[in-house]
Amino acid sequence: MQRWLLLWPLFALALAAPVELKLNLRVGGQPLQFGQTYQTPQKQRYQIDLLKFYLSEVALVRPDGSEVRVPGLVLAEFKPGGPTQGVTLMRFEAPPGTYRGIRFNVGVPRELNHLDAATQSPPLGVNSGMYWAWNPGYIFFKLEGRAFLEPERRWVIHMGTDAFRIPVRLQDLQTPRLVLNLPGRGGSILLNLDVGAAFLPGPGGAFLDWRQEELRQLHGLSPQTRAFMGLVYQNLIQAFSLASPPLQSR
Amino acid sequence: MNARWTYFLLLLGLPGLLWLATLRVEGEGALSMPMVRLPLEPPDNPQTPAKVALGRRLFYDTRLSADGTVACASCHKPAFAFSDGGQRFSRGVGGQEGQRNAPSLTNVGHRRALFWEGRSPRLELQAVGPLTAHNEMAMTPEALAQRLEAIPSYAQAFREVFGEPPSLRMVTFALAAFQRTLLSYNSPFDRFQAGDLKALSPAAQRGMELFFSERGDCFHCHTGPEFTDDTPHNTALYTVYPDIGLARATGRDEDVGKFKTPTLRNVALTAPYMHDGSIPTLREVVMHYNRGGQPNLNADVLIRPLGLSEQEIDDLVAFLESLTDRSFTANPNLLPPAEP
Repeated sequence: MQRWLLLWPLFALALAAPVELKLNLRVGGQPLQFGQTYQTPQKQRYQIDLLKFYLSEVALVRPDGSEVRVPGLVLAEFKPGGPTQGVTLMRFEAPPGTYRGIRFNVGVPRELNHLDAATQSPPLGVNSGMYWAWNPGYIFFKLEGRAFLEPERRWVIHMGTDAFRIPVRLQDLQTPRLVLNLPGRGGSILLNLDVGAAFLPGPGGAFLDWRQEELRQLHGLSPQTRAFMGLVYQNLIQAFSLASPPLQSR
Repeated sequence: MNARWTYFLLLLGLPGLLWLATLRVEGEGALSMPMVRLPLEPPDNPQTPAKVALGRRLFYDTRLSADGTVACASCHKPAFAFSDGGQRFSRGVGGQEGQRNAPSLTNVGHRRALFWEGRSPRLELQAVGPLTAHNEMAMTPEALAQRLEAIPSYAQAFREVFGEPPSLRMVTFALAAFQRTLLSYNSPFDRFQAGDLKALSPAAQRGMELFFSERGDCFHCHTGPEFTDDTPHNTALYTVYPDIGLARATGRDEDVGKFKTPTLRNVALTAPYMHDGSIPTLREVVMHYNRGGQPNLNADVLIRPLGLSEQEIDDLVAFLESLTDRSFTANPNLLPPAEP
């Protein structure tokens, strides 16, 4: 019996494969490049200066719908001078096998979102640059840039509060289209985030018109701009996708 | 009294209190010493003289803003009880105008809820707001840490006080420690309460009676020794609020137009009034409440026409003016340090 117990770490090692979760930033079909000017569907020209967001409650989804949950919370940050392609968001271990997708939230879990930020450790806490002083809790998703209007204007999207935690579900249990075979030696799961999708128009053609001052500062839950925050939120839910191929073995 | 605070009071002076200690109340032969209420120290940010001194330097230092033009004290000026001296809205970096009137920091260490919505629970977190807001000081945590680290006296002071390099978090801790020393309990009203029955004029005494009566009805919200319930209310300032107040944070319709009750200590020094500085004088504020405000579905139930006479309005104003503590605004230990 004692001998079997000594062998247990070897079994455990065999049951856990290293996984890297990576991200490509895109604008439409192209890799995002800082410093490059893009255009919204409404022909407003813009550049991206900063993207930061929290990623949490990650889980791999098995064919039977059960999940391998990944503990932890990461803060992803992209800014000029840094990489935008194949950036590792987090590393974890999961049992080798077949999965039918991955799910995660963009945001901070509710149970962490309302603790005293003055005492929380990185990536939470006030030094993260994501704490919302006037509105307890964290900014979950921060996108900032410039719009080339006359004159040039800065715009920000600071999405947060529990109502705007973004659930991303990249899984398919109904059809055989999506299969992730994680080998024992591990692999990388590659995601795409189409940042340009944030600016897609909504029902009735509503869009984030940066000519309007209040739409250049999109914060929180304000009823005055909530419809537009909701529009960006809906866009972002669909802005994440799995790359092709979604999983690269080591 | 907490030994550390005793040390602070001795160190920081509070000259008004020392002056008071020499007074004798006529006809009673007793000392008149108003009671100083000391804020609670958070366990994770105990007061130390060095920390308070560092917080004081930071409070007056414009280098804390992105373009080096704005300090905390730019909008919270000592002479105006740490409000913005007649400005309806303060200006941040690049001359950008804010959207709300800078509140007084009188006894701010006692606030349980900060900002006009009352949504920040402690000074250490509140300070993140103005330091990082794009139209106030517009700093990022990284830029702030780098800038202070490049100033040798700050780099050394942070290590001495906190045992670590400058960071946004440590800046807010130091600022909070300094702000907990902004104590003001030496107004004529305080001296009257302490037994100096001549400290208030007859008009102020009549105003006081009205203030604390159901007829004047000020005291339900402006309650307790700090003259605030730290709670947001809709005071029927507008029928349609351009600034929606608490609803900006909660998204709830019933919170539209709700703003936190401000303290009335030193209120005569903090004009203009209301969250948007839209009322220029104290008398006009009292007249607003006397009229019962504007029609508003969210108006607090206590807002209704009061039926006060012109004399009674004057008396209330006299009482509000008696809440002014000149020893607070002149306290040398709260003014800019010799070397910023």
